[in-house]
Amino acid sequence: MNPKDLSTKEPITWCPGCLNYMILESVKRAIAGSGLKQTDFAITTDIGCNSKIYDYLNLSGIYGLHGRSVATGVGIKLGNPKLKVLSFIGDGGNYNEGIAHFIHALRYNFDMTIIVHDNQSFSLTTGQPTATSQQGYVSKASPQGEKFKPLNPIKLALASNATFIARVNARDINHTAKVLEKAIKHKGCSFVEVIQDCLIFNKDMNNKDKMMYKIKDNKNKQVAEKLANEWDYNSKKGRIPIGVLYQEQELRR
Amino acid sequence: MKLNILIGGKAGQGINKISEIVNKILVEYGYFTFNYRDYPSLIRGGHNFNILSVSDERVGSIESQLDGIVTMDENTIKVHKSELKKEGFVIDFEKFKGLGRNLNIALAGALIKILGIDEKLLIGEIKKEFNNPESISAAEKGFASQKEKFNLKKLNNKINIMSGTQAIAQGAINSKIDLYLAYPMTPATGVLHELAGLQKKYGVEVFQSENEVGAVNQALGASFTGTKTMVGTSGGGFDLMTEGLSFQGMSEIPLVVYLASRPGPGTGVPTYTSQADLDIALSGGHGEFPRVVIAPGDPIECIEKTNEAFYLAEKFGCLSIILSDKHLAESEFSSDRSPNKILAVNVDRKLPGQEIVKRSSYEHDKNWNTIEDSETTKSNAENRLKKYENIKKELKKFQMIKIFGNKNSKNLIIGWGSTKTVILDALDSIDNSIKKTGNYKFLQVIYMKPLSDEIEKEIIKSQKTGGKVILVENNVTGQLGRRIREKTGIKIPNRILKYDGRAFNSDELKKEILNIK
Repeated sequence: MNPKDLSTKEPITWCPGCLNYMILESVKRAIAGSGLKQTDFAITTDIGCNSKIYDYLNLSGIYGLHGRSVATGVGIKLGNPKLKVLSFIGDGGNYNEGIAHFIHALRYNFDMTIIVHDNQSFSLTTGQPTATSQQGYVSKASPQGEKFKPLNPIKLALASNATFIARVNARDINHTAKVLEKAIKHKGCSFVEVIQDCLIFNKDMNNKDKMMYKIKDNKNKQVAEKLANEWDYNSKKGRIPIGVLYQEQELRR
Repeated sequence: MKLNILIGGKAGQGINKISEIVNKILVEYGYFTFNYRDYPSLIRGGHNFNILSVSDERVGSIESQLDGIVTMDENTIKVHKSELKKEGFVIDFEKFKGLGRNLNIALAGALIKILGIDEKLLIGEIKKEFNNPESISAAEKGFASQKEKFNLKKLNNKINIMSGTQAIAQGAINSKIDLYLAYPMTPATGVLHELAGLQKKYGVEVFQSENEVGAVNQALGASFTGTKTMVGTSGGGFDLMTEGLSFQGMSEIPLVVYLASRPGPGTGVPTYTSQADLDIALSGGHGEFPRVVIAPGDPIECIEKTNEAFYLAEKFGCLSIILSDKHLAESEFSSDRSPNKILAVNVDRKLPGQEIVKRSSYEHDKNWNTIEDSETTKSNAENRLKKYENIKKELKKFQMIKIFGNKNSKNLIIGWGSTKTVILDALDSIDNSIKKTGNYKFLQVIYMKPLSDEIEKEIIKSQKTGGKVILVENNVTGQLGRRIREKTGIKIPNRILKYDGRAFNSDELKKEILNIK
């Protein structure tokens, strides 16, 4: 399979320069590199900018409801465990509307991949704060600044006993593609948090590339906990480790 | 001949075991039974009771006056004494102190003796069920403690006992269900337990989802892959699922929903019964899309209509809702009938894994890619309407209504769901009208959506001849009545509505029917 086979003729409606174009390319490369057939895959998507990827990937899939991409993906696995399921979802969908499905999917540990496009805001609804927006974020819905501290999704995933946790930089297509390929090959539920700038909303949190550094694949839970604590999603202080933050050695299920 | 026997005690004492043992023996003996279960929302203590109705003819309800009371605690007789007939009997738990866990078996033995059934049948049943010397001796002790009162003669009827819950599970198994998803909620939980117990035998997968929103979205994901899927819930869970029902309407992925209702709003009276969720079954979910709502009235219909629900969902890519309630789900019905032949449910569509298949919650073009243009939006809306018309045509094959009693009588009773069997019993005791000679006929509505055109004709026919048209429902607003009025413009003048969380008793319903002048 060539990455180009995965393209469709649908007009792309992301903003010019949106990081989603880069994520789309990484996903195509990872799928093409997986050694699997095109029909082996089924994707689920949410509602939000990220989920427009449904129209741009020539794969089987369901364009589901907001917050439910992961639940729909779990359903596909229940229906046909042979399918390779990729569930795309944004930070609002996964950490606000659908957080219960996310935690339980990690607990179920079906062989599927959850890809979260985290730009720290609800962008398609014009920039309201999500669970990963920084405190003080000024938006139309929070003119006095967001009151609450953000959630750390990596710590949540660790606490939920996830068997594969990775974080990547949307801008680094090659690295993201490699990590996604590992996530797809992982036997269990893999979670990939994609750090992504939004060019229109919550621009204060953009350009964190300098904070990011690549780590070697980690299989030690204590180390993973330290890595998770290096960045709190609330500031542009600290360092942001990217790569496979944790993979369970002895695979469950 | 008809007897109503109450068995009461605390939750956890095993009153269900008594009615189960006696029920099995009676059915083997050729008698029809109906077992009503009444229990509050607690696990140990409180006051639970069953009323077992026994008859030599078909029976599907209980009466308010009791022929006997079997007690497992002091409270039972205090609560129910006023319902006992003058000549009624009492089997007192005090007689059997020291039997511990075998108290219920002794009480079952005592009841069998009062009914005048052979001890051999009792011991045979206890051996089948428990097969330990203490239980057998408890049964003998109970049997020896009483004098025969009713002298029931053995009858030749071939009868099965089944609850609505078991029948829904059977209907799903008959349809070759692959996956059942649910979050526990009374009174739908029974089907979760029933199908979980049948997993190994039939290869059905049962998944307890993290919540109802998860269940319905997972169900659509699974059904997308060609898996025959059903979700089950009660009113509150159904509310949560409605976003998924609407998603079904757009994605056209087949979906069967089992909705077993209880009194609301809110948490309501969770272990009691109600027919108040017809409105949400008909309309839950945003946007306009086709659906089928079917309300079976007894276990045999539960088997048949669940099968039809699967058939229609798969054939049309539509939403099929099976509407039941606590009374139908948890009461135990006896029947000498067998269900119709099973309809094959064939999955005949493109599947992921074999080719590229897409489905969307967005408005879409024919390849399921997102669109927003007015022309496609309009034609897709019209296509969904057309689908509903096609479903209506298909339904000509199935029984959407049933008419019982004397087809030429002018008086017409209209009801649906779990009120079916009590209406039949009430009419039977009025003037044997079920034997097709009386002054009443009963129109049972089974398909709540689409609604049969025959309903309007029947009402007009009855009104033209000066007959009384009477609506019977277990809710406070007469939801089927409103549905009929919406569809036909006819307001049914007489309504008998019960909304205290309890099902109708046949004698009280009879009185209410006769009171309508």
